[in-house]
Amino acid sequence: MMSETIQATPATSGRRAAPSALLRARAALCAEWIKLRSLRSMLVTPALAAVVCVGYADYLCWRYTQRWHTFDAASKAGFQPLDVNFNVLVIGVLFFGVLGALVVTNEYGNGLIRATLAATPQRGLILAAKTALVVLIALLSSAVICFALFLTGQGILAGHVPHVTLADPGVLGRVLGAIFYLTAASLIGLFIGVIARSAAVAMTCVFGVFLVLPALLNSLNGGAWRHTVPYLPSNLGDALWLSHTGTGSLASPTVAALGLVAWVIVLGVLATYSLRRRDA
Amino acid sequence: MSAQAGTAPRTSASLETRFRATARSEWIKFRSVRSGPAVLLATAVILPVTAWLLCGYYSHNWATMSPASQASFDPVFISLRGIEGAQLFVGALGVITVTGEYTSGLIRGTFIATPQRAQVIAMKALIFAAVVWAWCTLLSFAAFFIGQSLLSGPAKHVAIGDPGVLTAVFGGGLYLTFVGLLGLFIGVLLRRTPAALAALFGILLVLPVAVGLLGGQISAQLAQFLPDGGGEEIFKLLHGGAYTLGPWQGFAVLAAYVAAAAAAAFLLLRRRDA
Repeated sequence: MMSETIQATPATSGRRAAPSALLRARAALCAEWIKLRSLRSMLVTPALAAVVCVGYADYLCWRYTQRWHTFDAASKAGFQPLDVNFNVLVIGVLFFGVLGALVVTNEYGNGLIRATLAATPQRGLILAAKTALVVLIALLSSAVICFALFLTGQGILAGHVPHVTLADPGVLGRVLGAIFYLTAASLIGLFIGVIARSAAVAMTCVFGVFLVLPALLNSLNGGAWRHTVPYLPSNLGDALWLSHTGTGSLASPTVAALGLVAWVIVLGVLATYSLRRRDA
Repeated sequence: MSAQAGTAPRTSASLETRFRATARSEWIKFRSVRSGPAVLLATAVILPVTAWLLCGYYSHNWATMSPASQASFDPVFISLRGIEGAQLFVGALGVITVTGEYTSGLIRGTFIATPQRAQVIAMKALIFAAVVWAWCTLLSFAAFFIGQSLLSGPAKHVAIGDPGVLTAVFGGGLYLTFVGLLGLFIGVLLRRTPAALAALFGILLVLPVAVGLLGGQISAQLAQFLPDGGGEEIFKLLHGGAYTLGPWQGFAVLAAYVAAAAAAAFLLLRRRDA
């Protein structure tokens, strides 16, 4: 009896210590998942993104089929079926940036973050769990959106004007590139949200980074700007799905993918640092 | 008899006192929220720095520009283009001036203290507009002078006394003020920060991009009737093209959006719970 307890105690604690890191990770993931699932904006934002992107892209494609006879030969020759189909992502990316930002700023807004940090003092773990779930949600929803966008858009173009299929060279890569861009944008939004801690600041930054900054700077293409402007997150992302990349103001797809990864990593490190160092 | 005589002057005095009290309480709320000074500071960085960057770029690259782009170059608009970035922050400030109070629940205390809700929001808008207008007009002038000093020399530049220039520079401050008011009234309508911000940025920034994607004449025709495309005419010197309104006509478009949002806000404010 006595020996049993003595033997049992180190054995149990030994066994308890080993899975605890794994258990803790699983518990953090579960907790984050429940919080995400019950957040209304997690459903509203991707749904709105899908309706806006697919609906508007289909309308634009239909407009091209209607206006095709008014185009001159040069416009017809320069027509890029995938570009006109995916142009709407310039707007679509905002939904994903905001989605990521709201995951964390919502928690700061209602004060839940203090309970979260008290329950899981390993703040890095919390951010890792959030990152994993945001990647999962953004990847799934952007894949659905991009393929729906592509299939319906090209379906509308087909028969009237030039169109492409997934089997054409490079096309699948550009569709996957768009999915990658939208997922990266949601991570950039998440990390901006962690750094900003307020929905207002984070959303302003997301719109600033993905919409206003390129609008202000894209007209500059001389001197040092030629080596800066293509590396804005929005321009790197556009380089992943637009044609004519690697020339002029857009980086090549490989550089663009690496550049986006670099942005995500830099912001992720900053976000981790700021989450661990500051009060909630 | 004497009591009745005493009532009349007291009521008229209390109206004045009430206005003064509302103005004071709104002013205290405005200046004690941290985002106010932060936003004003951000605009103070964005406007001059953008003027410096853009005007420096064009003055350096002036010789390489084509005659057509030299002719369509608008020295006032380029030096004030920072407004396109600053409007994000000023608009967001307008939104959170109202939604911040709804989030913290302070709005219930405010409406109990002053049951005249329209008066509260009107005073809030007035104080917001006065501060933002004064500050942004100042920055608009600063950005203009920074820009023109950089453009002088080879590039096209103008003096403050040239025709239309003073309107455009004052227009920069007016534009930002009205963008902020649009945010403020949308905040009253939606009451939640993310929703109101998304609506404001959607109308202000996303709609022009969406209209631009249409291509063809219809894009230009529609763009001038958006708050952004119309309102920006006020701080442009050149109003070229078949589909651009003049400075004040364009600004009237933005003012109409603000008026519509204000009308809806005052209507709903009386009918809804806080």
